[in-house]
Amino acid sequence: MTALLEMKEVHAGYGQTSVLHGVSLVVPEGGIVSLLGANGAGKTTTLRAITGGVRWSGDIKFGGRSLRRMSTEDVVRGGIAHVPEGRGILTELTVDENLKLGSHLRRDGAEVRKDYDRVFEYFPVLKERRRLSASTLSGGEQQMLALARAFLMKPRLMLLDEPSLGLAPMIVRSIFEIIRSINQSSRVTVLLVEQNARIALDLSTHAYVLEVGRVAVEGESEELQGNESVRRSYLGY
Amino acid sequence: MQALLQQVVSGIAIGGIFASLALALVLIYNAMGLVNFAQGEMAMLATFVAYALINRGMSYWIVFPVTLVLAFGGGIVIQRVVIRPVERAPILTLVIITLGLATLLNGLAGFMFGYVPRSFPSAFSAQTIDLLGVFISYRDLGVMGVSGLVLLAVYLLLQRTTVGLTLRAAAHHPEASRLLGVQVSWMLALGWGLASAVGAVSGIMVAPILFLEPNMMQSIIIYAFAAAVLGGIESPLGAVVGGLIVGVTVNLAGAYIPFVGGDLQLAVGLAIIIVVLIIRPNGLFGRAATRRV
Repeated sequence: MTALLEMKEVHAGYGQTSVLHGVSLVVPEGGIVSLLGANGAGKTTTLRAITGGVRWSGDIKFGGRSLRRMSTEDVVRGGIAHVPEGRGILTELTVDENLKLGSHLRRDGAEVRKDYDRVFEYFPVLKERRRLSASTLSGGEQQMLALARAFLMKPRLMLLDEPSLGLAPMIVRSIFEIIRSINQSSRVTVLLVEQNARIALDLSTHAYVLEVGRVAVEGESEELQGNESVRRSYLGY
Repeated sequence: MQALLQQVVSGIAIGGIFASLALALVLIYNAMGLVNFAQGEMAMLATFVAYALINRGMSYWIVFPVTLVLAFGGGIVIQRVVIRPVERAPILTLVIITLGLATLLNGLAGFMFGYVPRSFPSAFSAQTIDLLGVFISYRDLGVMGVSGLVLLAVYLLLQRTTVGLTLRAAAHHPEASRLLGVQVSWMLALGWGLASAVGAVSGIMVAPILFLEPNMMQSIIIYAFAAAVLGGIESPLGAVVGGLIVGVTVNLAGAYIPFVGGDLQLAVGLAIIIVVLIIRPNGLFGRAATRRV
């Protein structure tokens, strides 16, 4: 499989504080890769580096092209949808307007309409609430909106920052099922940041565990799940 | 009763002018949390441009849209050249820069056109018609019509177009908008251009009433501040409603409160600002400011 995203020795940080101390990882085209680790390990910063939300050095390649010195807007326009920490919902706008911001750069009108149908199939609740302010949605519904909006961007790669955060287990399961289905039927590659290692490893093919800004362990998800010592020392279950 | 109605109607006409300038203030406030003290001077300069074009023999109805386009471009240039380099500076720095910009534009207009008040043509005659017992001049009707159309156009642009959607998104959540591919920096420039064009409308509408000179907008901007504050500074609809209320209030105060007359009308505008900020700082349509601490 070819690598869609490749990070090599990436260092990044905020002001004087450096957070990533040389992170290297590969996300294969069409795959789902989990990025695990404790609070403060640098998972979110890794995603932010990819979309240019934080200064970084080293190299990040997407589809063979370096993302060095590219603005966030250009990285995103190149085919990366990033659902950030806190979901990035525009609460002053309606549900519909949020979705439109996802598809606003696309010119393939017929495909866009099909994708809207898909989205409302995945998340019927969003169709019911189209005209309401996004601020009236529950946490789970906001997560659905964020995922739906990312899907409407028709990305090659989705970066998902803790989609399970603060949600009831049943909702988490259904959202993860939809992530799997988006990955399989639309061939969207996914890089998934999670604290909930168990559910993330169930979904992904490959996983990296970060510890204080470095990759501590990496491997096939199944392998990590089966490895008792890795599970105990890094994944906490 | 009829005299009262008369005052209300002419208050609405002048209120439409305040509303346009207040809307310009709100557009920039929304985009970057900044009150643009140069908004009035930008409008004044645009009006001088219109004046120069009309003096060259161009028809009023060609000059009007041409001036708006030039003002739009000018607003974008000001944002790119003056504001953008200091975008991340503390808000006080930005405020002082807009004050400096106001002084600069004022001096520039004085230098280019002099300080002699000039009469500016109106597209509408000063004749009055009798509408259900209230006499309205065509000029007032024209001002109401033009202001109304401009406000409607801005509303449609913001609410019904993709550009408007991305403008609003960039204003409210720049970071989240970037992640959706919105070019936030250009949206700010577009906001300045739009504000500049809307403000220019107020200048062109008020010039036939006040006479055109570099200090023409200095009272109007106070009323526009009052209107924007009354409407809740963040709300475009609030700016319009606020403008109309301020226009009517100021007009009625001038007519019915003996010591106010024409001379203290400006004080009424300032009083409105103070009263709103004390009693209802979020204005009529503003949301309460909440902040995590």
